[in-house]
Amino acid sequence: MFHTILIIVFMSCLLISNVVGIRFVIDREECLSITVDYEGDTVYVSFVVIKAESPWHFTEDGVDLVIKGPSGDRVFDMHDKTSQKHDFIAHKKGLYHFCFTNKSPYHETIDFDVHVGHFAYHDQHAKDEHFKPLFDLIAKLEEALYNIQFEQHWLQAENDRQAVVNEKMGKRAVHKALIESAALIGASVLQVYLLQRLFERKLGLSRV
Amino acid sequence: MAANNWNHHIPVVLLLVILWCTTTQGIWLDLPESGTKCVSEDIHNNVVVLADYSVINHQEDSHLHPAATISVKVTSPYGNNLHHNENATHGQFAFTTTESGNYLACFWVDGNHRAGDRLTVSLDWRVGIAAKDWESVAKKEKIEGVEFELTKLEGAVEAIHENLIYLKNREAEMREVSEKTNARVAWFSIMSLGVCIGASVLQVWYLQRFFHKKKLI
Repeated sequence: MFHTILIIVFMSCLLISNVVGIRFVIDREECLSITVDYEGDTVYVSFVVIKAESPWHFTEDGVDLVIKGPSGDRVFDMHDKTSQKHDFIAHKKGLYHFCFTNKSPYHETIDFDVHVGHFAYHDQHAKDEHFKPLFDLIAKLEEALYNIQFEQHWLQAENDRQAVVNEKMGKRAVHKALIESAALIGASVLQVYLLQRLFERKLGLSRV
Repeated sequence: MAANNWNHHIPVVLLLVILWCTTTQGIWLDLPESGTKCVSEDIHNNVVVLADYSVINHQEDSHLHPAATISVKVTSPYGNNLHHNENATHGQFAFTTTESGNYLACFWVDGNHRAGDRLTVSLDWRVGIAAKDWESVAKKEKIEGVEFELTKLEGAVEAIHENLIYLKNREAEMREVSEKTNARVAWFSIMSLGVCIGASVLQVWYLQRFFHKKKLI
């Protein structure tokens, strides 16, 4: 009875995965850290730049991400991306740092998601051989489900980004039309005024 | 006798193991010395949110100097204050969302600390299915083993399904905005063209009148 309970508890601990999804505003540089408890864990990381807080955003600037391991070694880096998904195997356990750098002069909102999936085997307490393959399969299933949740979070962040872009596009269309009309009216008034002045001067000279 | 001893020790062992499993999670944020650091998440209505934060002390002589303290403020999308704590080194908050939108948790460092300390806050933020207390569910429903694991998976699958429905609705909204933008581009371009033609007609008419008046035509 005790052994069964211990197996259950160990198995439920194994299936607790580390999933985090947050949004933050980045100014120049921002660093986040996460602890990886077991060697050989796969770390899935994704980020999406939701919006840049500037009224007229001309270029598609992205952010840089540098992933550093526990001993300061550079695990991975990517430059100028607005949305990216990446996974790597953590060979060492410890604190992993994810540092974002923002090169554009505006603040940007970034949606960051990291998921550490581990899949450890605890055979010393599995006295009951009948259950072990079943628990392994359940662990695999749970890992797959957490992966789906991770992908869904990224998809949601991408959707949010597109929603922001769409709204901006709608507003821009209206502003463009109004400014264009105003410019046209202004240009025609100016034309009329200049022609009037020209002919009045010419007429004034010739009639005198 | 031995069985009785084991029965006493089981809850303690379970508690220790569960605590060990759950204390090593969360994300670490670096707090700037002045100004606030805010993290947010877009959460829909009627979702349980559970969060735990604590200050991590990097200094080697941390036992000599008192730890720096932080202040926390959590606000709902409509500006309601959900949790406010000052001068704390650790704490937690839990709430069920009543509004759908962006929930913001802001941290800032209190004034009473040495300059040059690098302050790191560990934030463990769980939303929805991750915040569910499975141990109490197991105790209440009296399930264990395979059934318990499968119940957890069922919860996860339902959460995924709900999320998918939410994504579908968001996409439907976005599609409407796109269609509206498409219609707007068309109508406002025609309006622009109309303004251009109207302005040129007015110009021609005005100049004709002007030249008539000046007896040129």
